[in-house]
Amino acid sequence: MAQRTSDLILPTTVRPRPRVNASRVLLTLLFVVLTFVFVFPLYWMVISSLRPDGRIFVDAFDLLPSALSLDSYNSLFEQEPYGRWIVNSILQTGGFAFTALFLCTTGGYALAKFRFRGRNFLFLLIVVSQMIPFHLLIVSLFLMIIQLGLVESYWGAIIPIAASPIGIFFVRQYMLSIDDEMLNAARVDGANEYQIFYSVVLPNARPAIATLFILFSLEYWNNLLWPLIVFRQAENMPLAVGITRLINQYRQSYDLVMAGSTLATIPIIILFLFLRRQVMTGIAATGTGMK
Amino acid sequence: MLSSILRIVHNKKVVPFVFLAPFMTIFLIFKVYPVILAVIMSFQNFQGVQSQEWVGLTNYQNVFNLVRFGQALTNTTVYTIGTLLILIPLPLILAVLLDSGRVAQSTLFRTLIFLPALTSLVVAGTVFRLILAEEGFLNLFLSSTLGIRPLRWLETADLALPSLILIATWRWTGINILYFNSGLVNIPRELYEAAVIDGASPFQMFWRITLPLLRPTTLFVVVLSIIGGYQVFVEPFILYTGGGGPGDGGLSMALLIYRTAFTSFNFGTAAAMGVILAAIIFVFSLIQFRFFGVFSKED
Repeated sequence: MAQRTSDLILPTTVRPRPRVNASRVLLTLLFVVLTFVFVFPLYWMVISSLRPDGRIFVDAFDLLPSALSLDSYNSLFEQEPYGRWIVNSILQTGGFAFTALFLCTTGGYALAKFRFRGRNFLFLLIVVSQMIPFHLLIVSLFLMIIQLGLVESYWGAIIPIAASPIGIFFVRQYMLSIDDEMLNAARVDGANEYQIFYSVVLPNARPAIATLFILFSLEYWNNLLWPLIVFRQAENMPLAVGITRLINQYRQSYDLVMAGSTLATIPIIILFLFLRRQVMTGIAATGTGMK
Repeated sequence: MLSSILRIVHNKKVVPFVFLAPFMTIFLIFKVYPVILAVIMSFQNFQGVQSQEWVGLTNYQNVFNLVRFGQALTNTTVYTIGTLLILIPLPLILAVLLDSGRVAQSTLFRTLIFLPALTSLVVAGTVFRLILAEEGFLNLFLSSTLGIRPLRWLETADLALPSLILIATWRWTGINILYFNSGLVNIPRELYEAAVIDGASPFQMFWRITLPLLRPTTLFVVVLSIIGGYQVFVEPFILYTGGGGPGDGGLSMALLIYRTAFTSFNFGTAAAMGVILAAIIFVFSLIQFRFFGVFSKED
């Protein structure tokens, strides 16, 4: 199903009459302007992080600054544990993506390929849970991780948000398209259910798993609320929480905050340019899968 | 002993539950149980794990008597309506134009307009703090092109919600274009070809074919926008450094819940606010689903 969706989403539409005319030129121009507006804040973030100390507002109308400096990046690594935040973000993001994938592939397989009592109820429960605002849970979850001794720990940041309803829903939809005959053939060959999952189901679900891995990574990397509650010590924070700390500590040092924001964003955008299809079709599919 | 465990694990009836166990364990402990706990706490005077007493509806009464809660509820509702008014029609029209074959390089435009969706809301907040600052780019731009006097975007109560809606427009337009686009490609081309033969104008085709057939997608984006709009938290949290902004003009319900819980440590009240927020979101979702008749079609 996801494969079909990906074919459909790509803009392969070729209309009968692609004439070159005035309306085509005007519309394209409109989109050039619009795109400029949307990309501008990102450009502004990068350029502001490179302006020499104290020039951010003075030079604000120099769209192409003549003087560039890396001072703000130097102070970022000297005055704050920014390097730690990068490491924390990478490790926590990886841990979250793997944990969530494990839960969603096993659970999604059960929902897609087995009939058992209570299946429809579980499915409904998972779909409805998607509507629960996270803010309803924060107090309970906070008290729970205190009791479990998980404050300031990676696991405390990862486990409570790892059972992703959208994730299991996405895997289930994808695995419905896996041919039952193939699974039965493996059973006839004497493979047990867990061997079948590992060596037949997972390889066949590879596209969905890759897409989910990317989406889970993006989700954790950009998430603020839960890690903000779990981590108070600067050396344990991921980037999103660290940047929030920068804002509180250096209210007037916009260059420092922009440097921190740039380093947290640009690698993601570069990665995205390589994985564009997967990210965009994945987001459209997880989204439209909900309707 | 081990062999009997193995026999159970390989039993045909048990297998699906083994596969389900990891997800359901985490789901029940960290999603279902905290909801129940929050509802219980909302009826308690919660002063730590050891000391709780039942107080009936007192927390809810306190919430509704709180001036800040009324303001947060109003702010959040206006914000949600504002984002709906922009983030449904704008991406819809842009998606239709990009899909019309009248725009060169439409994939490139789609990709570039999508880029803001990759930035974390934290970064979106920091960048707009800079752009909206009194000496920032927006004021410079407005005064040099339109001659508008510099506005104090971040210090004026009435400008808080427009600022937040501006950020939302920047951040979500690309994603909503993507959703509408995936709805558009599902509309059979033959319908348009038949309409062209019947002499229909592009405008008529948009009203009579595109809009009605896009309704499931539109429903989905509307529901998503309402659910997301009512949970707005990170943008005001960053823009106003954890506070509610000037005169609480940017105070959202989620932000108030966070502050009630982790600044005032008033867990019972925070839980009651969470229940109210969840109820609002739930009711809106149900109304939308009924209105669009989704329940009757499925299953």
